[in-house]
Amino acid sequence: MSIRRFRNTLALTVLLAAAGNAGSQQLSEHQLVNTLGQVAEAASAIDVAMLVQEVASNPGKGVAGLPHWSQLATLPQFFVEINFENNSVAIEPGSYRTLGLIADALHHPLLLRYKFLVVGHTNATGDAKHNLKLSARRAEAIAEALSTTFSVAPNRLFAIGAGSEMPVDAANPKAADNRRVQLLNIGLVK
Amino acid sequence: MAKRLSVLSGTVLIAVLAQTGVGQTQTISYADAATLLAKECGADVKKFCKGLNLGNGRIKNCLEQHQAKVSPACTSTMAGVIASIQLRLAAQASVDKICARDAARACRGVVPGKAHILGCLLKATRIVGAKCSQAITDAGWR
Repeated sequence: MSIRRFRNTLALTVLLAAAGNAGSQQLSEHQLVNTLGQVAEAASAIDVAMLVQEVASNPGKGVAGLPHWSQLATLPQFFVEINFENNSVAIEPGSYRTLGLIADALHHPLLLRYKFLVVGHTNATGDAKHNLKLSARRAEAIAEALSTTFSVAPNRLFAIGAGSEMPVDAANPKAADNRRVQLLNIGLVK
Repeated sequence: MAKRLSVLSGTVLIAVLAQTGVGQTQTISYADAATLLAKECGADVKKFCKGLNLGNGRIKNCLEQHQAKVSPACTSTMAGVIASIQLRLAAQASVDKICARDAARACRGVVPGKAHILGCLLKATRIVGAKCSQAITDAGWR
């Protein structure tokens, strides 16, 4: 599972790196729409408040095995790279395009009825509690930019932080690959 | 319209002109709008708006506050990008209405819902008229 998801991350990163080629831009938005357009039965059971509570009560101990967090692995999702200024919620201009790409996908009719969870992840450099707070604020900054600059309805967006509790490269928790943004379809807007 | 086009960067402008028929309203994707903004304003954002985020008009306000020092290309691009996002939003909001008659003719019996109707309209190229077809293109849903 994690290998497959990781491959998705790489694919998108590679496609974005080829910016300027209309074909690959098109493909990556389609990829986002197609991946996030699949509906999982488990989506309606996701409780965002419980996710926040679980991760806050176990800083430094990981979240993958916690009851609510382990459910996330079954949902349609995507990992993207969005870069921030050091220790800040300011998104680097170099990542504006990725935000726009997510906005294109979220405005597509196939995804219009769904709500999405934005999960921020950091690598393990620094204090676990600080990482958790920073990743939550960064996820909120992404949701805010999507809902204001790009007019995605705010009731479709939920933002939480995972800090350094769910590294994609568990053998190297300080690796830069662990800094990423996870985007999940969490079911129909009520 | 001419004003909006004039602020787009050269490459995009050429691409836009290559794709459009005469007199058509052309929209660009949110990704392309964001790319333009980063390209023309990225350096000014890093210089004058450290720690500020894109959301809630913060970058726009910051660049306006520093307008005397911000590059003219950035100032005009910022206005163009905001206009192009609004244009794309309006195009997406207008598809239902513009395509209602074509959908009623071509998509009878299709499961209700925006996505299903769009899928039907995209396939029914013989029935769907030029206006609806253009609306779908302007919405970026092709």
